Amino acid sequence: MKCHELAEEYDLYALGVLEEPERSELQAHLARNCEICAPEVRRAAMRVSSFASLAPVVDPPPRLRGRLMASIGVEPRFRWNWMQTWAAVAACVLLGVFWFNHTRRERVQAIAFRDAMEQLRQSETESARMKEVLALLNSPETIVRVSTEGATQPPQGKVFVNPTHGVLLLAANLPPAPAGKIYEMWVIPAGGKPVPAGLFQTESNGSAVHLYRGAVDVASTGAVAVTLEASEGAAQPTSPPIIVAPIKKG
Amino acid sequence: MNGLILFPLLLALEFGDTDPELAARLKRREPQAMADLYDRYGRIAYSVILRIVRDGAVAEDLTQETFLRIWNRCQAFDSERGALGPWLLAIARNRAIDYIRSSDGRMARNAYELVEMENPALFANLESQIVNSDQARRIREALTKLNPSQRNVIELAYFEGLSQTEMAAKMGQPLGTIKTWVRAALKNLREQLGAGAPA
Repeated sequence: MKCHELAEEYDLYALGVLEEPERSELQAHLARNCEICAPEVRRAAMRVSSFASLAPVVDPPPRLRGRLMASIGVEPRFRWNWMQTWAAVAACVLLGVFWFNHTRRERVQAIAFRDAMEQLRQSETESARMKEVLALLNSPETIVRVSTEGATQPPQGKVFVNPTHGVLLLAANLPPAPAGKIYEMWVIPAGGKPVPAGLFQTESNGSAVHLYRGAVDVASTGAVAVTLEASEGAAQPTSPPIIVAPIKKG
Repeated sequence: MNGLILFPLLLALEFGDTDPELAARLKRREPQAMADLYDRYGRIAYSVILRIVRDGAVAEDLTQETFLRIWNRCQAFDSERGALGPWLLAIARNRAIDYIRSSDGRMARNAYELVEMENPALFANLESQIVNSDQARRIREALTKLNPSQRNVIELAYFEGLSQTEMAAKMGQPLGTIKTWVRAALKNLREQLGAGAPA
């Protein structure tokens, strides 16, 4: 066949649908590098390649690029770009906000828990103390004495002494100890040296409840007194007594 | 036709002027050239293959195979005047059609033509106007102007690798009608592209 007879067949050949005998004829022309047919088949191949644009565009999976490069011996390399940078920054910010809120919530919860436990502990301590006070007050062996010192609205003390439970002081009109000072109670044996019986502070209304725990020899106790001492307390009174309640009568 | 669909091809053709440099780098076995080739043509090659095989995993394998074939055969490519994109698309299409033919038991009836169409010499010694953007726009217009029957036979031939006889059976039309549609479609495209008359 002559070249002009094959003119309609170039695109069919390039598309892969040219049938015999035209196909063999054209292949023969191409085999001898026909100056007319060869460039026309090349043009037809280019036209046919344009049919690729009929395919819907789909992005290949990102991993395919790495697979391809690995297949020619190139290890995958992390490719950083602005989108990833912003995504990383956003993730860090979100993580930071989440962590901050989480730790703050935990801190608040921990403080609340600690406060609750402290209140419970104080409540239990107070409750135990009140039980001791009531036990002392309720004991038939307890004797009651009242202080005698003072003038107009003097500090007053009512003392309950029990040989087993100890000494309970109920004070009134006793102003809060100044800074660096504290009240100290003393159990004073008749004719002997005062024995320290605990430190205490008063309420803002001048009242105080102080319990000295321990056995007391009521028969030999001459008085119970209160002095104002340095905040760490003293082994012996260093100031005149503010409250004195005689125990041993007569 | 959706302009977005044509965009990768237009882009590929627009970048045709830089193909010689890329081809030269491929010939020098520069790994980065392979990465650049994939970045330039990976999406359209994958899209064509997926359209043919309709299976993502298979399309991945065949896309990889297509680029490896370019990598292994680029020494025969004319890096000065060749067009990498069309060559790569021809290989992509042929790999995919080979796959569906082997998977559905069809005979490799015209396998010879398909292998021939992978010959890098077909994509060499091309006039520069073949790959310019005007050509790409004319391609878009020409494909748009095909009537449904013409477009159907082009798609059956290009994406399914069917012969005209197979198309006639599939469409329930006489072989003569199919041949008329195919020739009319190709003639329309040639005329639209201004390359109808043989040299």
